[in-house]
Amino acid sequence: MSVDQKQLDQLKQTLQADDYRMDVDVRGDSADVAIVAGPDACEECLVPKPLMQSMLGPVLGIEPASIRLVYPTDGPGADVTTS
Amino acid sequence: MYDSVIDPTLGPAGDARGRTALAPRPGDLSGLRLGLLANTKRNAEEFVEEVAGLLESQHGVQKVLIRKKPSIVEPAPPEMLEELRAECDVVVVGVGDCGSCSASAVADGLQLEEAGIPAVVIVSDAFRVSADAMATLQGTEGYQYVTTPHPVANLSRQGVRDRATAAVPEIVALLRGPNVAPAS
Repeated sequence: MSVDQKQLDQLKQTLQADDYRMDVDVRGDSADVAIVAGPDACEECLVPKPLMQSMLGPVLGIEPASIRLVYPTDGPGADVTTS
Repeated sequence: MYDSVIDPTLGPAGDARGRTALAPRPGDLSGLRLGLLANTKRNAEEFVEEVAGLLESQHGVQKVLIRKKPSIVEPAPPEMLEELRAECDVVVVGVGDCGSCSASAVADGLQLEEAGIPAVVIVSDAFRVSADAMATLQGTEGYQYVTTPHPVANLSRQGVRDRATAAVPEIVALLRGPNVAPAS
């Protein structure tokens, strides 16, 4: 499967509404996704990681468990594999 | 509570989340007991209060209960949902004006429906993606909710009133009639 760019853009726009940016790096059957907070981001406004992974899976064409997701609250050196 | 509702990786192996059975809709709202379930986002409580005032004056409902969730991330606690179920005939949930609160508002709406209470969820239009994701996660793809333009948090009270006024016809339609798209 390939990335659904239209849906990915919609998801990014949703995050932007809460002042977050999403960086996506797809490599084969896995992906690294980092959510970056802007100055007006509300920490609680991000959906829980499992839900974000379930949203990203069909958009990226990757099993949710193979998406390494980093949230702003994870901090440097955090274990990014959540599934 | 959160874990079992939001985390799709939990639950018994092979446990398929069935489509939520929605509550039967009343043909007429007159005389029904209205409950409000708000979150802690700015203007959420004011929005549902404005909706309640309009439903009272235009459709004869009686507001009997308002509860504010302790967290925007998590669905309402079980005791809060039980209180709404026991004391209300219909419930308005809102406002999902961020990613997490739109998802949890949909989860709340579906739990109320499952408990037999017709519910309408209000979500700001920037967060359809997370609201729809939660509905799909709950096995109820196509669940209908009412949208209002984003953002809600920075509105004046008059702005909230105007938005509530614009939303009420759709809220009434969803409370009275089917609120889910046909299963595909």
